[in-house]
Amino acid sequence: MRIASKVFQATLAVCLTTSAHAFSVFACEPEWAALTKALFPEAEVVSATTAQQDPHHIEARPSLIAQLRRADLAVCTGASLEAGWLPMLQARAGNAKVQNDQPGMFYAAEFVTLIDPHRGAITPFSGDVHPEGNPHMHADPRRVLQVARALADRLMQLNPKAAPTIAARHAEFHASFSQKIAQWERTALPLKGRAVVTQHASLGYLWQWLQLKPVADLEPKPGMPPTPGHLERLRTQLNQSPASAIIIAQHHDKRAAQWLAQQDIGKTLPLIILPATVTEISPEALAAWFDSIITTLTTQIK
Amino acid sequence: MRRPRLPIVAAVALAPLVFSSTSLAQSSDWQVGAVLDAGHTTKNLELGARDKGLELGHSDLLIRGPLGKHFSAEASLAVHTADGRLEHHTESLWVQTRTLPAGLQARAGRFSSQIGYLNEQHPHADDFTERPLLYRGLLGGHWFDDGLRLNWTAPTPIFLRVGVEAFSGKQLVKEAQRQQSPGARTVSIKTGADLNERHSWQAGLSYLNNRREAPVPEHEEAEGEHDHAHGAAFTGKHLRMADLVYKWAPDGNMKNQQVRLIWEHARFSGIHPEAGSRRHQGSALSAIWRFHPAWEIGARTDRLSVNRPELHDEGAGPELEFAAAKLREHALMLAYKPNHMQTWRVQLSRQKAFGDAATEVFPQPAHTSLQFQLVIGFGAHGAHSF
Repeated sequence: MRIASKVFQATLAVCLTTSAHAFSVFACEPEWAALTKALFPEAEVVSATTAQQDPHHIEARPSLIAQLRRADLAVCTGASLEAGWLPMLQARAGNAKVQNDQPGMFYAAEFVTLIDPHRGAITPFSGDVHPEGNPHMHADPRRVLQVARALADRLMQLNPKAAPTIAARHAEFHASFSQKIAQWERTALPLKGRAVVTQHASLGYLWQWLQLKPVADLEPKPGMPPTPGHLERLRTQLNQSPASAIIIAQHHDKRAAQWLAQQDIGKTLPLIILPATVTEISPEALAAWFDSIITTLTTQIK
Repeated sequence: MRRPRLPIVAAVALAPLVFSSTSLAQSSDWQVGAVLDAGHTTKNLELGARDKGLELGHSDLLIRGPLGKHFSAEASLAVHTADGRLEHHTESLWVQTRTLPAGLQARAGRFSSQIGYLNEQHPHADDFTERPLLYRGLLGGHWFDDGLRLNWTAPTPIFLRVGVEAFSGKQLVKEAQRQQSPGARTVSIKTGADLNERHSWQAGLSYLNNRREAPVPEHEEAEGEHDHAHGAAFTGKHLRMADLVYKWAPDGNMKNQQVRLIWEHARFSGIHPEAGSRRHQGSALSAIWRFHPAWEIGARTDRLSVNRPELHDEGAGPELEFAAAKLREHALMLAYKPNHMQTWRVQLSRQKAFGDAATEVFPQPAHTSLQFQLVIGFGAHGAHSF
């Protein structure tokens, strides 16, 4: 009898602890996972993707459906970045909280102005264009601040009890991040106006913020892998008007950029490979990522 | 078989213009899109859906979006050529819940059954120009029907989905000599997870209870019979299927490189009250390697063995016989996918028929067939599943 009652008590305890589970957040990209951790470290946060992966091209894997099934909040970029996989996850997860237009579905793109919206017709030959604009807005720390404010509001709405601490953390994040932005801008001053060859608009916001000049794209059309003909044209172009560096993201296929970097175009172009987003999920990850890319750019672009 | 209809042809022709000139799909959650699948085949395949020469493969016009807060809906119209004519059918027209509690989802209308691995996927996303033999022989290419579905997704770290469906069954067995209602019932279970960042897997088991008994053809009519993608050529009472999918990508970044291995098996038993242990069965194994962001190469080995019931009349009254035959098919394909809206594919297929009744059941296996396929998407086209 006593053993039975002990077992019962233990089972009950387990059940109670599981039911009083931590607030669970499904982030589509690691930058939003890191931001959530900065604002609400008590939350249980998973990221569907990593800096090694192209966020346009993710499969609706069973593991992601299972993660979204248990989420209280999904934090994604929006602007069609996840159009190839998130709708399938939402349709399969059977989770009412994370459907569009529910408070549990947060799209960062709704709270910032996007650059370069695609105007005009979209045909099957336009490439992977986004009529809403460039979705990779996390590479502009000023826009990260705007998203942080909206995300803090949403976290408070869904966690009324934790609202005061979330508000305090947000104030702290806002202050320290704003200070860092001023610092990064000072450090990056020498980069202003420098011409760079890029791949895709993955870091388009970074160029705009630091006033670097993207003069050529390795992709002939957005999302279309570099072709030999296009690379040949770039070589001719760079011979006439040289650039300071070739910069690609870690998740891009490196072969095209390496080929171009080895060509004799006036001088050897440094090939810089940057992680397109944070490489870990922690409250400090965003600041650490900006620190590292600005250090890399300022030391490698001479 | 229907004659080509002007409105359909016009709709297919105009769709690209409509969808490319506006960003209707982006203005709300409603998505409108069309897929054009055009091809050229040097020789018909046994149980194949592609005609010799120029042909229109499975092309569709699709609209999908939310219906208020609690439902989502989809409608699609598919067209393709068969024996030189344009055929069309409503492929999906359904409403699904979005906000049921406890991981439950219900769907009603016309939709593809979730049995097997490929059946619920859009044919234009296939890795080969034709579906595996087990689909072409036992499920009429891909099986969609009118019915109801209830699914439950478990709140577990490993994905687990259990689902039941009830269908009219009329798309599986067009004309039944005996039937019960509902005509077909299914139960399926799907599970899957990541081993780590690079490796993912999914496994499924499904069962279909077909309650529409197909009439047994006379020997003469059975011979040379061609059933084009509508209704299954070989049926039975109980269909059991198993599927296993494994995918690998360096760092989980499938854009640059990926390997996909897909295995499926299906077995129809209860093929006739007097069939005893005779059954139809098929299996397919395919391997696809994306070796460059825009290029894929793949191979598939595929087999189907059937026992077709037939009535023979040698003058002493009709007598039931089972025509036993096996079909084997190998395919090699190379695909160029410059972006997600285009696929250019070339495929080499080879078939061989065996068994006592091989020449009757599979009279014209293609020794070598070269196929060229172009799939182009217009407008928004929804996300695909794993």
